[in-house]
Amino acid sequence: MKSEIEAEMVVRAAKEAGFCATLSRRQFLFLCAGAVTSLAALNTWRVWGADAPIVITDNAKGLLLADPSRCVGCLRCELACTEFNDGRAQPSLARIKVGRNMNFGPEGPLGGARMQGAWGNGLFIQDTCRQCPHPVPCATACPENAIQAAPETGARIVDTSACVGCRLCQRACPWNMIGFDEQSQKATKCFLCQGVPKCVEACPSGALRYVAWRDLTREAAPRAALLVVPPEKAKGCLDCHKP
Amino acid sequence: MAEVNGGFAGKVLRVDLSTGKISFDDSVEKYREVLGGTGIGYKVLWEEVPAGTGPFDGANKVVFATGVLAGTGVPCNGRTAVTTLFPSCWPKPLVASGHMGGQFAAKLKYAGYDAVIVEGKADRPVWLFIRDGRVEIRDAGHLWGAGIRRTTLAISQEMGPESVVAAIGQAGEHLVPLSVVMNSVSHSAGGVGAVMGAKNLKAIGVQGSGSVRIAGDKSEWERLVKFHLSILGGNNQHVVPSFPHPQSEYYNPSSRWVGAPGKRWGAAEPPIEINGGLYDLNRIAFRSNSGAFYLGEQAWQYTVRGNGCTGCPLRCHTILKVPSVAAKYGIREVAQNTCGGMVFGRSFFKQLSGGLFGPASLEACMVGMHMADDLGVWCNYGQLQRDLIKLYYDGTLKAELGSAEYASFPWDKYENGDPAFLFEILPRIARRQGELGHALGLGTGGLLAHWSIPEEAWTHDAACGYWKLGHPKHHANEDDGQCGVIINTQYNRDPQCHSHVNFIRNGLPLAVQKKLATEIWGAPEAVDGVGDYTPMNIHKARRARWSLVRKELHDSLGLCNWMGPWVASPLKERGYTGDDSLESRFFSLATGQRLSREDLDRIGERIFVLHRALTIRDMGSVEMRSRHDLTPPWIYQAPSGAQAFTKGSIRMDSQDIAKAMELFYEVMGWEKATGAPTAEAYTRLGLQYVAEGLAVKNLVPGGKR
Repeated sequence: MKSEIEAEMVVRAAKEAGFCATLSRRQFLFLCAGAVTSLAALNTWRVWGADAPIVITDNAKGLLLADPSRCVGCLRCELACTEFNDGRAQPSLARIKVGRNMNFGPEGPLGGARMQGAWGNGLFIQDTCRQCPHPVPCATACPENAIQAAPETGARIVDTSACVGCRLCQRACPWNMIGFDEQSQKATKCFLCQGVPKCVEACPSGALRYVAWRDLTREAAPRAALLVVPPEKAKGCLDCHKP
Repeated sequence: MAEVNGGFAGKVLRVDLSTGKISFDDSVEKYREVLGGTGIGYKVLWEEVPAGTGPFDGANKVVFATGVLAGTGVPCNGRTAVTTLFPSCWPKPLVASGHMGGQFAAKLKYAGYDAVIVEGKADRPVWLFIRDGRVEIRDAGHLWGAGIRRTTLAISQEMGPESVVAAIGQAGEHLVPLSVVMNSVSHSAGGVGAVMGAKNLKAIGVQGSGSVRIAGDKSEWERLVKFHLSILGGNNQHVVPSFPHPQSEYYNPSSRWVGAPGKRWGAAEPPIEINGGLYDLNRIAFRSNSGAFYLGEQAWQYTVRGNGCTGCPLRCHTILKVPSVAAKYGIREVAQNTCGGMVFGRSFFKQLSGGLFGPASLEACMVGMHMADDLGVWCNYGQLQRDLIKLYYDGTLKAELGSAEYASFPWDKYENGDPAFLFEILPRIARRQGELGHALGLGTGGLLAHWSIPEEAWTHDAACGYWKLGHPKHHANEDDGQCGVIINTQYNRDPQCHSHVNFIRNGLPLAVQKKLATEIWGAPEAVDGVGDYTPMNIHKARRARWSLVRKELHDSLGLCNWMGPWVASPLKERGYTGDDSLESRFFSLATGQRLSREDLDRIGERIFVLHRALTIRDMGSVEMRSRHDLTPPWIYQAPSGAQAFTKGSIRMDSQDIAKAMELFYEVMGWEKATGAPTAEAYTRLGLQYVAEGLAVKNLVPGGKR
């Protein structure tokens, strides 16, 4: 029911914006993602087309920006992330990831002149969540729609009450940024600490900043290229993403 | 006892390399009374390694132990104590610990272990694989003979890039007493490499995905962590900068807080200008630069960044990039270390063109780090290098070495301060090649015995820096008068204690230090100005006791005694006070077991006295004052002829030091005549079982109990 109301809002907005009432499905989606977003406080537009839900998530507002040249590898960001949010020190659960690149850089212990990290050129590379634009790979992969945009920051956050611990989001993230909490059996990811990221506050070398969102997903090759879309969602996606 | 809900990882891993048996103890149940670190180390040696055991015997054990606060966000944690019978301790091996930072402690905790006890002896080279609950003894045949770097890469390829590897190099394999175990590039524990080598244990690789639970309220924890950050100074808790700055009331040129705004990490890409406020918590990492401290201004242009231990915002292992050394010496252009590890190479030379802050010094440091940190050679806090200088320049080498061996060294390079000399000397030490390589690697005691040189030749020579038992001074009278002397008498290697010197050298004016001393130790007379000493008093004895107790406490909590304690701060608005109860506040929140400062200090004292008891047991004597707590004659001499207690002299007075020892024994509750803890002293600390064990051997003063 809610989705129908949302759809109606989009159509109304389109009319007010001077579009004709009869929109193709494709035009309709572009409107959702673009011109009319300012008309509603919602970050996610959900409409029904054919038999499948189509989810288009608005861009996030904020973003963690990491400067590797300043990173000193103390991991205080990972510790602040988990201690202050979860009450335990657990870098494997941290939503910013430095430790995994610290020894040898993202390409691992290959030896040779290209090797990064403490054993290589001394550069520490922080991995942060890019808060991807539509289609948000982790959210798209989730069969439970448990990854949603947070109202204040637009951060893509895990709704732990909906997460069933299937780990498909982990597989889907091109940047390998989704953690999994073995204790609660739920996925976890960067939620930008409601706009005051603990990691930024904790960094002793000013290597992290919280800035206005921009699309970082096209600036570096993904670490993993596995597309995970549940079949029931794929039907809807195919409307635009034609094979 | 209160329930413990956090802090501890929970298990102690025990690996018997003789049988291949792997077992687990409950840390809290079995070791909570000694916390972790050196506490677990001493307890294991007390309970399981009988007196008379040799360091390379299968019966010796090596205990890698971290502590409750390791792996958490408490600033300046990340320490692992490696406790065993030290092969460099002379004339008889006794208990001691090496201490390493890096990432090993945190990973071990995340894997679920507070400590690893290695016992027995493998019949072939092995390494220990630890990934969370999975522990395996794996074949190291392909790694034997390799340096630490190659070993680390090979194990990381097998375990994954996030694992941490603590490995020995060729020195440990060849049972060189002056050898280290090393993790995370440059973080070594000295003196224990050969004990691993004797066990055929090449390395321990650890990967952990678990957590260290904080029992207390997470907001309270966050507040305390932030408070701690606010009272941090620079390296070694030097709380005033080395440079004048409008934000700081004081400055002190000898401070290790060298990162002045405007300086730059010149080898970062692109270079980074230090900016922002002096006390900005997002700039703490720029305060320290070991390169600049030890190598002067030139180091800034070669600084890539600071590196260091897990959770420490003060990055004392400076990464330097010096492209010219790659072409000139065929070594990597990037190296990192701090303090003695950074100056390892240059310290061999009596003269370097351009001095300590010149280019030859820098190159010697780069070559030294490249070689020593791969071969796994230990400097014995600089004694190795001072020994070579003394032996060469007093003609001993020419007399002792065969002419062919003597001629095989390029002594002209040595005299000229050419770093290329290091390529000749270091591999021979690591592989025990030739007379000189063998003798130097034994450590000073073994070396003196090997060539029948009387120890007096060393103990009378101030320039040599030697103290006793084969080991040198470490922050003794040159830094802290009687307090430094007392501390240097207590251990079986150099004392590795910084509690005292981190206060004395914190850079604050003496008047401010005296104000703080009154608050902490009860009287302004507890501290003197450096090189401006006054006769001994009871307050200094109390400060010595406090220093030793905090040292053991830090070593057993996983905290860094090179950075703490934090009893002074850079904050004028606090009157420069720090917090003397920080350790107990963190301990209480982490574990859920509420302990006061006094409660926790009592545990620290228990650990310290356990070390004393082990030393008494293994020496087979209570006569600690006359046989163990020795001072070298050089501290009572002054080449200038200056008297003790004159400004500018570090000369001590022997009667005053005798009084110092008595006052120290008094505040410890030990017998003055022998310097041995009394039965009451043991009992007061919950060490009745220790007193009973010693009483059987008639090793408690006052006879049988």
